[in-house]
Amino acid sequence: MALNRTEIQGPVESGEVVISLRDVSKRYSREAPAVSHANLDVHEGEFVFITGETGSGKSTLLKIIMHQLVPTDGMVNVLGYNLNRIRHTKIPKFRRNLGVVFQDFRLLKDRNVYENVAFAQRIIQVPSDQIRRNVTDALDMVGLADKYKRQVTQLSGGEQQRVAIARALVNKPYILLADEPTGNLDADTAWDIMQLIERINMEYGTTVIVVTHDRSIVDRMNKRVIEMKQGEIIRDDPARTEEEYDEFYEDGNAYQDVDSDGYDYEN
Amino acid sequence: MPIRTWIRTGTIMRISSFFYTLGQGIKNIFRNKGYSAASIATISASLFLFGLFFSVIDNISYMVHNAEQGVAVTVFFDEGTSEDEINQIKIALEERPEVKRVVYVSADDAWSEFSKEYLGDYADGFTENPLAGDDNLEIYLNDVSKQGELVSYLENLDNVREVNRSEITADTLTGVNRLIAYTSAFIIGILIIVSVFLISNTVATGITSHKDEINIMKYIGATDFFVRAPYVIEGMLIGLVGALIPLGLTYFFYNRVVGAIAERFSMLSNILKFLPAADVFRYLIPVMIVLGVGIGFLGSTLTIRKHLHV
Repeated sequence: MALNRTEIQGPVESGEVVISLRDVSKRYSREAPAVSHANLDVHEGEFVFITGETGSGKSTLLKIIMHQLVPTDGMVNVLGYNLNRIRHTKIPKFRRNLGVVFQDFRLLKDRNVYENVAFAQRIIQVPSDQIRRNVTDALDMVGLADKYKRQVTQLSGGEQQRVAIARALVNKPYILLADEPTGNLDADTAWDIMQLIERINMEYGTTVIVVTHDRSIVDRMNKRVIEMKQGEIIRDDPARTEEEYDEFYEDGNAYQDVDSDGYDYEN
Repeated sequence: MPIRTWIRTGTIMRISSFFYTLGQGIKNIFRNKGYSAASIATISASLFLFGLFFSVIDNISYMVHNAEQGVAVTVFFDEGTSEDEINQIKIALEERPEVKRVVYVSADDAWSEFSKEYLGDYADGFTENPLAGDDNLEIYLNDVSKQGELVSYLENLDNVREVNRSEITADTLTGVNRLIAYTSAFIIGILIIVSVFLISNTVATGITSHKDEINIMKYIGATDFFVRAPYVIEGMLIGLVGALIPLGLTYFFYNRVVGAIAERFSMLSNILKFLPAADVFRYLIPVMIVLGVGIGFLGSTLTIRKHLHV
């Protein structure tokens, strides 16, 4: 499979630092900063959740990492690119190393599944024959190979998110950034999508950062968790060991406070 | 940190990418059918008016130029000036850039022409040439506006007795030329501004309706050029179609209108000499295509600069 760009079989937490934030703040106005003095290192192959309440600054942090926003203060280094000083002409080259997934899928509604995924390849000018192979592989990975001709509007929410993931994946990114990828999905579908993202992380060694406010998924997946509150990183817990994870479950913490839609309204 | 890279980031557009971009440009036109049609119609209307003005101006210029050819400065010489001396002045005049041609008219020629035109048979009553000693040079100009300059030059020459000219005719023709130039520049300027504004609106609508798509393109790593190209192509194609339609219409009407005028006002055929369609369209075709495509390029480029920020 063309997507097999690495022999890494699982998260490599001791790998190179691929995302480095040093004392990063972002202020939109004179009010309290959206992100305040954030320090963060993410290693190659890691799977990281950024969680917190609405307005805690987690999406802003993600936008800073993908250089959609420029921090007011602090240093941001992603994949060797100094995002404080990156030249405008270098931004496309930088972004080709990232795959981005959104809560609202952001698919092209006037095109079918294949065209939506191929779109990501076309705009970085991949030759047509390679596009066919890569799109087939990506759709295979997300389990939609047999629906490649369908219009995306005919798909369920979960399937649409799979198309979005295939589109993010097809350019073989180093880092997959997902902003509330399960926010519009029911609990079961949300869990399927998270398992798919985990599989991408495990099989390809892709570094994954998922922003979510869904604590049930965070608790259930046993990954590194960064919690934000009022713009500050208040917690940075590494993935639990097997014993810690079992103990956590036995205490009845996980997957309790979720309604049928998968939303955790208490948080 | 050394970064592995699998993705080709060449800046030269592949042929397949070129066709993809061209295809997207064409699709953009059909996605906003209403706005595209409105833009094409307005540009067509503007360029049709431009074509009309161009044809009229071109023909008026042609007629004015023809009229200019008939405006001559006549120089009379002092008594006793020899034909050789007059010929030397003629040669000197012919070397001047504003002079188109110089005709030597002997006193006998002048009398013969005058008597034939105004006296007819009564001329037989004259036994001697009343215009004896009125040998003259008729000087025809390339540019009537230079008449004053030439007259000053002539008046300072030795042996020159008198210089006759038609100042009113020269000034009128120069004035008409200037008026046509300024009026046409003004009207064409306004039409171009209106067209740029309209194309800009169409492209802006396209960009607004594709904001999500553009955002996705930027997130995935499309270069500014790749994002902009379909919209620029859309604008240029609208401009091209907007130029071709009025070109066809202008050609159709030109031949018919010129034919109709020539037929109805046949008695003015000496004055109303029209340019053949081929002469007008030799310039009008490239000018209108460049204008249409240029308006499309300008309109879309300005709009993209304003609206494409990710």
